[in-house]
Amino acid sequence: MQWQRYILAFAITAAIFATAFYIADFIDNRRIADIREIQEAISIDLLSSETQFELLGSLDCELLGEHPVLSEELNSLAERLSYTENNLGNDNEQVLLLKKQYSLLQIKDYLLMQEISRKCGTKSVSILYFYSNEEGSCENCGRMGEVLTYLRQTYPDLRVYSFDYNLDLGALQTLVALRKIQPELPALIISNRSPVYGFKDLEETEALIPELKTLATTTPQEE
Amino acid sequence: MDIGALGVYMCLFLGLFFEVFLLISFLENKPGKKTAFKPKNYPATTILVPCWNKAKTLGATIESLLALEYPKEKLSILIIDDGSIDDTYEAAQKFAHNPQVRILQKKNEGSKYSALNFGIANSEGELVGCLDADSFVAPDALLEVVKRFENEPDIMAVTPAMRVHHPKNLLELMQAVEYVFGIFCRKMFDNLSSLTVIPGPFSIYKREVFTKIGKFRKAHHTEDMEMAFRMHANGLRIANAHTAIVSTKVPTSLGALVRQRVRWSRGFLENARDYSYMFFNPRYGNLGFMALPLGLAAFLAGIYSAIFLVYSFLSAFITNVLDMVVTGIPPQMPGLPRFEWFYMDTSMMTFLVFTVLALTLVTIFIGKRIAQTKIPIHSLVSYFALFGFIAPVWLARAIWDTVLAKETGWLT
Repeated sequence: MQWQRYILAFAITAAIFATAFYIADFIDNRRIADIREIQEAISIDLLSSETQFELLGSLDCELLGEHPVLSEELNSLAERLSYTENNLGNDNEQVLLLKKQYSLLQIKDYLLMQEISRKCGTKSVSILYFYSNEEGSCENCGRMGEVLTYLRQTYPDLRVYSFDYNLDLGALQTLVALRKIQPELPALIISNRSPVYGFKDLEETEALIPELKTLATTTPQEE
Repeated sequence: MDIGALGVYMCLFLGLFFEVFLLISFLENKPGKKTAFKPKNYPATTILVPCWNKAKTLGATIESLLALEYPKEKLSILIIDDGSIDDTYEAAQKFAHNPQVRILQKKNEGSKYSALNFGIANSEGELVGCLDADSFVAPDALLEVVKRFENEPDIMAVTPAMRVHHPKNLLELMQAVEYVFGIFCRKMFDNLSSLTVIPGPFSIYKREVFTKIGKFRKAHHTEDMEMAFRMHANGLRIANAHTAIVSTKVPTSLGALVRQRVRWSRGFLENARDYSYMFFNPRYGNLGFMALPLGLAAFLAGIYSAIFLVYSFLSAFITNVLDMVVTGIPPQMPGLPRFEWFYMDTSMMTFLVFTVLALTLVTIFIGKRIAQTKIPIHSLVSYFALFGFIAPVWLARAIWDTVLAKETGWLT
């Protein structure tokens, strides 16, 4: 019996496995780079808006009307980040870093929108959504996320900011402390009102946001 | 990584190892092309045609045997009507006038082995072959087998290259590709001296095999597999003549196919158990270290992968339905798949699955070249679309029947 044949077959099979691992890893890294590029682009846009505000002493509401907001970019980024998190796991270091950057961008966008509302008199409807990915800490966070995704698709002007409650990020923990959000997840802050805790289905969530009636709708399929 | 996925990776590793091993064997010893040389001697040969209710196909089978390019005085055909209750005997009588043909009748004993032994006892040829009464030989098939015997005198039995006869429906087309894959595997197992079956359609034995190790046994209705195991156990060599082409009719309905494959699969399990001492026994070379263990592993891997897929699909489906009910989100029409590279499945498992499929395709095309046959594209589509779903059914049923020691008959 030729043992060399067995060893060669084993080596080739192992090499195929190694190649598959390398290719998959390479593409995952490309995905992370792609997310990072989008985050950088959003970061520049936000910085531009802030700088504009500082230059003019006030926001140029007309200009903002022409180039409204980063909603779409943030949504696209959220989808990509969520897909990558599902693939690589929520404890992946790169994913955690991207989530932190994403959370910061969301907070900055949220604050900017508050400013725009105040200065330009626009009425924006926003939801701060706090969830947890930790095993057993929030059984219904996934479902709450689905309800909010559906609402966001149905009402394009609804701004949903989602935060991992346990993310080790100073700015996020400051937001949690300021809003006095308890670790009873999922938790929602709708248009700066008091926190709402626990899972709410679509009907209950819609009832919590009467402002939805003022927003234009679309069908989710058209998104 | 969860345990379920880890099991799938192990299955993929085994599958890849098996394919790579056979491809190495192919590159080491590529099968030669058919030559125009004739054998120096034409040994007296008897072809046994055991038949049970084969009135429809028997005539064409015998015609194909009579058309063999072989000296008529050296070739005799023995039709054994194994207690048929249709017009098989009448169909056989059409050849009664032919001096090459003899027709015998016997009572059916519930398994093919008894008909074969009856034929061996009533024949005299130096070579004894068997041809199922729904199979048809190419005119030069016997010449090719005899050349193989002549070139290597230590060979005691020769198997042919089997193709599906005129495949028409989806199941037949699927099996056509499977048989071509089998042509490749059989030839490579020949290279490795580890053929595990000497199939009914036109396998030829030297008569001395039966005097040395005895005739066929019931062997869980897979006498051809048991005979191969017993020959290995006694150091008798089995070879494959890939240029000896025989085409055979295959089950046309799902029920018949599953029944046939349950018998074959269960036969493998039961015979492997009877000859378990061969596993990882250096005395039996590649048979003990590769063909038998990997055959068993393929069995388990097929079932495991199917269970994993069904479980994954069902759990995703149930989760989606529950989510829909609990969240109150109205059902939505599924959108078009996203073609953005970002969302394509580029996991390690996906690459490995595609590699296994690609290597399977390569082996099928090598088998196609070896057998000089054609594979229409819809045949390939049928194979890749159906086989993975149907095969686990008969594998699981075979294990179930084996565990329960359920007695079954010769069903196909």
